[in-house]
Amino acid sequence: MSAVEVKDLRRSFGGIKAVAGVSFEVQPAEIVGIIGPNGSGKSTLFSLLSGTIAPTSGTIRLDGRDVTRMPAYRIARMGLGRTFQIPTPFTNMTVRENLLAAAVESDWANARSRADEVLEALEITHVADDLAGTLSGGQLRLLEFGRVQMRDAETILLDEVTAGVNPRLRQIILARVRALQEKGKTFLIIEHDMELVRSVCERIIVMDAGEIVFEGSFEEVASNEVVIDAYLGRPAA
Amino acid sequence: MVRAMQLLIQTVIDGLLVGGLYVAISIGFSLAFGILDVVDFAVGEWVVLGGFAGVAAHTWLGIDPIVFLPAVFVIFALIGSLVAPLIYRVRTSRYARPALMALAFTFGIAMLARGTMLTTVGFDPRTVQTSLVGGTLTIGGVHMPWLRLAGFLFAIVTTALFMGFLFFTRTGLAVRAAAQNKRNAGLMGIDVKRLSTIVYAIYAGLTAMAGVLIGAIYTFTAQVGPQYSLLAFFVVVMAGLGSIGGVLVAGLFLGMLQALVTVYVGADYTLAIVFGVLFVVLLVSPQGVLRRGLAA
Amino acid sequence: MTSRTAKPGRPAALVVLPLIVLALVFGTLPMWTDDYWIRVWTGVAMWAGLAASWNIIGGYAGYISFGHVAFFGIGAYATAILMQPGYDWNFFLTLPVGAVIAGLFALIVGWPTLRLRGAYFAIATWALAEALAQIINTLDFTGGSFGLSTPGNPSTWFFYYAMLIATILIYLLTFLLFERSRFGYKVKAVRDNEAAAQSLGINTTAVKLQAFMLSAALPAVLGGINAYWITFINPQSVLSGEVTDQMVVMTLIGGLGHLWGPALGAFVLYLASTWLGAEYGGSTSYIAMIGALLAIIILFLPDGLIGLAPRARGMKLVRKMLGLSGAPGGGGAGTAPPGGRP
Repeated sequence: MSAVEVKDLRRSFGGIKAVAGVSFEVQPAEIVGIIGPNGSGKSTLFSLLSGTIAPTSGTIRLDGRDVTRMPAYRIARMGLGRTFQIPTPFTNMTVRENLLAAAVESDWANARSRADEVLEALEITHVADDLAGTLSGGQLRLLEFGRVQMRDAETILLDEVTAGVNPRLRQIILARVRALQEKGKTFLIIEHDMELVRSVCERIIVMDAGEIVFEGSFEEVASNEVVIDAYLGRPAA
Repeated sequence: MVRAMQLLIQTVIDGLLVGGLYVAISIGFSLAFGILDVVDFAVGEWVVLGGFAGVAAHTWLGIDPIVFLPAVFVIFALIGSLVAPLIYRVRTSRYARPALMALAFTFGIAMLARGTMLTTVGFDPRTVQTSLVGGTLTIGGVHMPWLRLAGFLFAIVTTALFMGFLFFTRTGLAVRAAAQNKRNAGLMGIDVKRLSTIVYAIYAGLTAMAGVLIGAIYTFTAQVGPQYSLLAFFVVVMAGLGSIGGVLVAGLFLGMLQALVTVYVGADYTLAIVFGVLFVVLLVSPQGVLRRGLAA
Repeated sequence: MTSRTAKPGRPAALVVLPLIVLALVFGTLPMWTDDYWIRVWTGVAMWAGLAASWNIIGGYAGYISFGHVAFFGIGAYATAILMQPGYDWNFFLTLPVGAVIAGLFALIVGWPTLRLRGAYFAIATWALAEALAQIINTLDFTGGSFGLSTPGNPSTWFFYYAMLIATILIYLLTFLLFERSRFGYKVKAVRDNEAAAQSLGINTTAVKLQAFMLSAALPAVLGGINAYWITFINPQSVLSGEVTDQMVVMTLIGGLGHLWGPALGAFVLYLASTWLGAEYGGSTSYIAMIGALLAIIILFLPDGLIGLAPRARGMKLVRKMLGLSGAPGGGGAGTAPPGGRP
């Protein structure tokens, strides 16, 4: 059974088709990268998967269960975790409280010690008791990534978590992703950094204008005419 | 049967005439909301302050309040232009919750206005005296006091002028752009702060002028501000926050609803029924039932 | 905007000592002061409790209720009606009834409006309060505009202790729920970013409704005690918009979203209004004053009076005085130096 199964998913805003008939599957413990130019529908796809917005048509299955049109919080409780492209800190809470808040619907009993681990691993212990509203852009992305770990989700959607994060911490994030994969977690990753995509993603989905234009390994993607035309040919903004 | 019919027609006409004044109160309020992104809880206080300005014109200056209307507009537009930057400052601040703080700020302004009026003039009921407009127009057994007709006419004219400003001037275009999307308006080089000051000033002046007319038609006290605020809220929620065309329909509808309830149910139930309708509107159509077409 | 009272690891003496002193002072108050001051402190206790209840929806949940007097009034009328001859309920049994009715009202009003932007909620709650006052004015069993008398008249200290204990329980509940439990994290997460809260599995609509219902039920209890205390209620007294004004202003002046903000605001403002009333008579200038104060606080001191005393500075001084400067800070603010880290 697939961890994620999407069939003919569509969503339009007004007349614009943001996601125009997307179908794919992700197997458990797989790491799949999603690339594509800005505005190709990647983030909209994540919002559809997590229930933040409802699809116009199509179905979404999570571990075989139909979650289409379920409210976001119920999808989250069924084991989906996500980060947002624009970080969404709880600005009036401290960094530590942000992490604790992420565990209210999962393993709350061990939340404190797990928060300490996450703080340590992401090297943000020194700002643990600062209000999240005072963090820098890179730190906010780390916090966003930290929160999704506190969730203890089975399937995790990462939306550009490494943008603006320094190279060493980027390695730390990658190591965490691999470690979680070992434990059987599934990942869908939106990324602009091709180096990162190459090193961690086993399979890559290329999107353009709301559709999947290609699917395959990094090497296949890198040598494919369609992809080069749609994405690699144009400089990433 | 005929008399029942006549009563109904009379009631509807009464309601429409009053509804015109509600449009006059709500139209500036709606736009101030759109551009400042703050619901001004002081809207009813501007009405009452206007009423007192009318009383003062008559008793202190010996000027007929109707003649004094332009002066009322200027005075309150000035006051409004002093208050607006403060609201703007709170709304765009880096506080924890600027939207909420701005709401509370206008609430404070409303209390300041109400408390000051109560302290200076007390609880006595007042009426704005005018000798310019009097008498009643009677057509087919339906009575329309000239004063109310004048109020309605005033509402129609100001609304038309306001719409003209919005749709046919450069500033008006900028206001509409800003009301729809402040960030984009800012990007396009529109000075949102200056615009919101202009809009708030016009709104305060307009609402105070309406207050003079309302004070001439109804007795008022320094305490009634919140009730007028509530009516303005009703209109704007019905219309959909920020929709000008909707305000026109919703204001007339409210006047009619109120008149019908007063005649056929009892004056004591108007607020309760108005609230009930408001509640149902929020429940069924949170974006406002009239939010189609003429969105500003 | 977060209160950080009693972090684990802080010397217990710092928390316990002042509490013991406060308990002694307020517990024995009726023994060493006269009726006038007992009544004043009963008022302070009541307003501290009312402001704290408002702070739940306004401060912790981030929705401004401009109609909270409705819940205070519902409690007052529940108690007054049930204690009328013919019903003759026991006073204490009337309090939960008022609380439940107020909670149900909150559910009905909150359900459609809490899903929307804050302005709708503010308007709807205000409309509810105005409409309720008008309806009660017209009903028979509420005594219409004449109001109702409550029977019996226990002593001043009875009401002092009733109000004090109710308010202490409200603070305890607020502390445990919002500063010490999972529920508090949920409510604050929803307040700060609703979409993110949902992505973490939090049912945001339910959490907001729960917070609002709690915030509504508590003032009803105080309203019930107040109705019994003042022996006579009518819509002008217990459903007056001024009650809401005060709850809002006290909380904002004390410190919105802080545990102790409402208590501080209630203390300062209630004593100020008592003094103003005694000195100048009349309460209309008070309305103008608190309106101006509210505007000024929002412009210049958005964290309220409590923001004037940052914990770090204040506690350092106290620690030094108690000779505890070397005590480990535990999870306290700013303990880990940012040395050398990126």
